[in-house]
Amino acid sequence: MEQFAAVKRKDGQPVRYLIVDDSVFARKNLARMIESFGGQVAGEAGDGCTAITEYDRTNPDIVLMDITMPQMEGIEAAERIVRSHPNARIVMVSSVGYQDNIVAALQRGARHFVQKPVKPEVLYEVIKYVMGEDASVASAAGAGA
Amino acid sequence: MSNSSDDRTAELRELFFESAQELIQALNEEALKLEKKPGDSEVVRSIRRIVHTLKGDAGACGYRELSELAHEFEDVLALEISSAEHDQMAEVALAAADVFAALIEAYRKKKKVPSAQALRARIHKLAAPPAKKTRRKKSASSLHFAWSEYERLAIRNALSQGKNVFNIAAQIDPVCAMPVAARQLIENALKTVGEVLAIRPEPGARDAARLVEAALSSQLAPQEIEAKCHIPSIVSKVTMETAQAAKQAKKAAGAEEPTKDVTEAPSPAPEEPGDSQAAAPTPSIAGAENILRVDAERIDNVLNLVGELIIGKSMLYQVMNEFARQHPKDTLRNKFADAMGFQARVLNDLQRAVMKIRMVPVEQLFRRFPRIVRDVAHQCGREVELVLTGQDTDLDKSILDAIAEPLTHMVRNAVSHGIEPAEERQRLGKSPQGTVQLDAYHQGNQVMVEVRDDGRGINVPRVRAKAIEMGLVTTQEAARLSDAEALDFIFRPGFSTAEEVTQISGRGVGMDVVQSVLQRMKASVSVETGAGEGTTFRLKLPLTLAIIKALMFTVEERLYAIPLNAVAEIARATEGGVHQVDNHEVLPLRNQMLPLVRLGHLPAEDTEKRSRKFFVLVINVGERKLGLIVNGLVGEEELVIKALDDQVVTTDLVSGASILGDGRVVLILNLAAIVERMGRMRPEEAGAVLSGLLFQHGESMTRKAGDSTGVEA
Repeated sequence: MEQFAAVKRKDGQPVRYLIVDDSVFARKNLARMIESFGGQVAGEAGDGCTAITEYDRTNPDIVLMDITMPQMEGIEAAERIVRSHPNARIVMVSSVGYQDNIVAALQRGARHFVQKPVKPEVLYEVIKYVMGEDASVASAAGAGA
Repeated sequence: MSNSSDDRTAELRELFFESAQELIQALNEEALKLEKKPGDSEVVRSIRRIVHTLKGDAGACGYRELSELAHEFEDVLALEISSAEHDQMAEVALAAADVFAALIEAYRKKKKVPSAQALRARIHKLAAPPAKKTRRKKSASSLHFAWSEYERLAIRNALSQGKNVFNIAAQIDPVCAMPVAARQLIENALKTVGEVLAIRPEPGARDAARLVEAALSSQLAPQEIEAKCHIPSIVSKVTMETAQAAKQAKKAAGAEEPTKDVTEAPSPAPEEPGDSQAAAPTPSIAGAENILRVDAERIDNVLNLVGELIIGKSMLYQVMNEFARQHPKDTLRNKFADAMGFQARVLNDLQRAVMKIRMVPVEQLFRRFPRIVRDVAHQCGREVELVLTGQDTDLDKSILDAIAEPLTHMVRNAVSHGIEPAEERQRLGKSPQGTVQLDAYHQGNQVMVEVRDDGRGINVPRVRAKAIEMGLVTTQEAARLSDAEALDFIFRPGFSTAEEVTQISGRGVGMDVVQSVLQRMKASVSVETGAGEGTTFRLKLPLTLAIIKALMFTVEERLYAIPLNAVAEIARATEGGVHQVDNHEVLPLRNQMLPLVRLGHLPAEDTEKRSRKFFVLVINVGERKLGLIVNGLVGEEELVIKALDDQVVTTDLVSGASILGDGRVVLILNLAAIVERMGRMRPEEAGAVLSGLLFQHGESMTRKAGDSTGVEA
């Protein structure tokens, strides 16, 4: 897999992610990409409810949230998380067919969306954009993964 | 969402409803024009402009259904311009006007939005082959920053507050397969760097437009905003300009789209921030800015205060008179009187000025009728020309609103029942096309509105027969009734709904409703008709509802008032002069018999009875004359009418109350209701019952009216 210049938080620590998807494969795939960005998987969840408790437990920098999941859909989970953590950075991950859901999620406080299948270079740019000034690309240190 | 932006939204919506109504009206007018001149591209363009503005405004208020529908219609209209004529277009435009109006009504009342599927289907049917759609797309990809009136207003406001406003165009990356979501994201991003004053396509629009245009007010540097707009994988290109650079936008837009309209003019750049309106660059905008849209309620508040002032004035007069009595030689008296005179003059001017604010030309009402007449004429296969005259006659807005329904009803009746079918007209030697005329003019302190048709007229003998059949009059009574009196029956509830009458006389469905609406505001309606010559309904409307010149009088020690303009003359009489004819009390007056109405009790039978004196107020109600028996005259005064709420008023005989300078409460009688009541009753019971009604409630009403205005009665 392609290597990216590591994105680090302002305090020099790796960016911490919560990955929410009901497919184990999708979670693993995302985790690999994240590690290639120098990030760290703080937690994983297979449904919306777990996502909320996991968010409270791990307090991640970024949530990657699938739209369709059992028990609680991604939109609702995103909405609830944003309600209790207004600064939560949630990136919706979804295939094209769920445009309406993405619009709804964006209206409820999600910060961004990426289209499935996720391309690492796209996700990388999105992460940088969403982190904004709270993160920087580590220069000489190179890969953190 | 913050409170202030909630307020802004509410305010915008109010504004929207006002202007949307005008747009719908304009749409109706243009559609009618198009019907006369099918395929006139000028008219089509004008319709398109209207629909475009409506679309933008609705979108700005978040009324998605309306905005989308308008959008689809606009698309079709755009094709129309290029592709010659459709004879269906006028029909669809009229249908669209109706559906839009229904949607707006639903939004206003926060009701469920009615389905617009039928219209949508018609619009789609009009649409030419999709190949032509590319044309529109191309023009959509040009930058025009075509903000609506509200948005321009918001932009101007932001500029005048010293904020920077940027027009931003963001092109959505071709790889992004979800343009709607992308637009949402762009909007979100913009919101993080400033306030979004306007955005196109409207939020929530479902089409696949890949260009987002927005006006953003922000304190951030342009570079920062631009960076924020460069959303990875979503936005491929960002163009920014400050809103001041309006000329560029205009040039760009003008080059692409030669048919720019005024409402699409880019936001003007106020050279002088603040209230200065002279800074507005185009005359049309300057004109619009000089017109304030004010909630009618606020004006009513002012009017109420003026009313209180007038009461205050008469209080002062009262005190001054007392002072003059006690100190007849005091020189201060004259100074007092001078000051009072001055105050009275200013107060008069103030009152007139406030009234004037409420005045609107009847054109506002009349202009809806071409469409109504056309529709009704189509429905019942008549050929009708509508003639409007006197549109610039001013009328109180609340009165105008109140007569809208009754007038519509009468116009519909005139077309559907008054005007004969074309063949019948030709047989009668009339021109095949019937004429309905609406006229408005001032007469004294009143405004007359007439609905005239040259149709077959009302069949008066038939009305008489029907009245007898319904037991409203006996055969003998009916024979004695003049035509005018007989025609009054069409205003009776239930009378008109009878099938045969509506078919033969062609009048009256719901005329009782018309009359009751008019009575409520001290207006009256009269009717003139000639067999084969047509019918004229004449509404006599007060100039205003709030203040009347009234004549005050006493009946059995109680104070009442009636509008002065209803009083034709005042006569003296004695009980001995009253005659009984047919159990009616009448008074011979200059060789005419005047029917009398006794507001008080019948005097006791005693020896002095015949010489007892009283006054008779001769009043005109509609076309009829009546005499009111009163005990004493008090004088005339301007009365500020205080509405009585329904719980206080248990009789319709009293239309309101007012307070005099000395705190006394005077009840204002509803003459139309009194006359009507008298007509319905057997004469022998009339006097007693009427006075009973008045006096039974008079006591409590007087007290409550005093309470409600906070003045000791």
